[in-house]
Amino acid sequence: SKWKESLIARTLMRQNGNLMQLVYGQSLSNSAAASQKERESSESDESEDGNFFIPKGQREKMADEKFDDNDINAEDCSKFKTKLRKWSDENLISSIRDRFVTGDWSKAAQRGKLANDGE
Amino acid sequence: MGKTTYMRLRGSRHLRQRLVLATLTATPIVVKEIHSDDTFPGLRPHEVSLFRLLEKITDHSLIEFGESGTELLYKPGVLIGGKNLVHDCGLSRSIGYFLEPLILLGLFGKKPLSIRLKGITNDSKDPSVDTFRTTTLHMLRRFGVPLEGLELKIESRGAPPLGGGEVLLRVPIIPNTLTATHWVDEGMVKRIRGITFSTRVSPQIGNRMVYAVRGVFNNFIPDVHIFTDHRSGPAGGRSPGYGMSLVAETTTGCLISADIASTEKADEMDEDTEEKPEVKTPEDIGIEVASILLGEIKQGGVVDSTHQGLLFLLCALCPPDVSKVRVGALTPYGIETLRNIRDFLGVKFVIKPDTSTNTVILKCVGSGMKNIARKIS
Repeated sequence: SKWKESLIARTLMRQNGNLMQLVYGQSLSNSAAASQKERESSESDESEDGNFFIPKGQREKMADEKFDDNDINAEDCSKFKTKLRKWSDENLISSIRDRFVTGDWSKAAQRGKLANDGE
Repeated sequence: MGKTTYMRLRGSRHLRQRLVLATLTATPIVVKEIHSDDTFPGLRPHEVSLFRLLEKITDHSLIEFGESGTELLYKPGVLIGGKNLVHDCGLSRSIGYFLEPLILLGLFGKKPLSIRLKGITNDSKDPSVDTFRTTTLHMLRRFGVPLEGLELKIESRGAPPLGGGEVLLRVPIIPNTLTATHWVDEGMVKRIRGITFSTRVSPQIGNRMVYAVRGVFNNFIPDVHIFTDHRSGPAGGRSPGYGMSLVAETTTGCLISADIASTEKADEMDEDTEEKPEVKTPEDIGIEVASILLGEIKQGGVVDSTHQGLLFLLCALCPPDVSKVRVGALTPYGIETLRNIRDFLGVKFVIKPDTSTNTVILKCVGSGMKNIARKIS
């Protein structure tokens, strides 16, 4: 509805400002915070039974959690796996219909035009 | 000569990019804590193989490994290139892993590079050799690299786990510098091309994959043409396998690629993952690769997510001129590439999201990398 539009626009604006920061700025403070968190969690672990023995499934889970910004030994792989969607879905099909030459050319032209105005 | 100062890095993450950038900028590096927390610490076989490859195409480069294999020191030498080189890529990663750095290094060499790579040609982890041939090499043209002399020939194929494939890569040297590009118009998808491969399996499997792919694209575009490449005998490598690579070509000449291969690889390194992954049928493969491609098209951008890193690197290696490119959502690999570029080349991108299309526009001034090793004639 209409009242939502301005809110959505504002949220998007806020996200935009962060993109430069996301790439160049925040990583240091982020990793520092993460390492601190790690230290805290390891302390609590040791009080129980030490973190030498880890159940088999849990290690995988930990590896999953580690995969964000701070795993320095992450796999060197340029392929990025996105979640697969079911492309027989009618809504999904219509969402990219105009990216094909079989779609609406005027809409596609608009898309390019908007990009040029954005300069 | 003064004392050399080393750039200190941690972990094996993005080792390829770091080595490429270190070689191009002649920055000596020290890397520590390589897989130091793993059950089997130290460098992986493919990483060691990468160093052997670097030794082949450079002169006077110094590579030293620490005793435990978790540390290394690399002092880059002069990039030479050369003809009739042969390299065995091993079986822990596919040839695609080695092609990405090789292409960049080859461009800035002293002599044109021609190298024969042996190993696994197609797997799911790295971009396949087909994707390189159809997409990556054409991307270089945007940056002023001459297409003649740029070639990847697939002599025989090898699926994981035993490989047995062989490709011949030829990369020309660039005369002086790359050229900056203004590349933001994605255009509309006008045709879809692709190639399937099948080795040591029934040749019918290729057709089954094509049939499944066609079913998905029927909703979008009629111009779909997929070649089947069936290899038997010695040209088919040592393991059975199949898969395919798709490319969507747009009206402005952008190429969006996706590829996939059947997974039958039993990992010897990790005994934890003992449960065998389910073997995908050719129909599954076809539908999956088509879904990946449609996902990439939906994302937008002039390249697919796999090529973001290479695109940024090429932009940053341009002469001091403004490059402007558009990509879909930034991938973790792309973001890390931007950071590595800042660290080694001192180039910072201006990153601006385009909210109307959900894409990202990046601008940068190139670092002015020149091919200094080239003989001046």
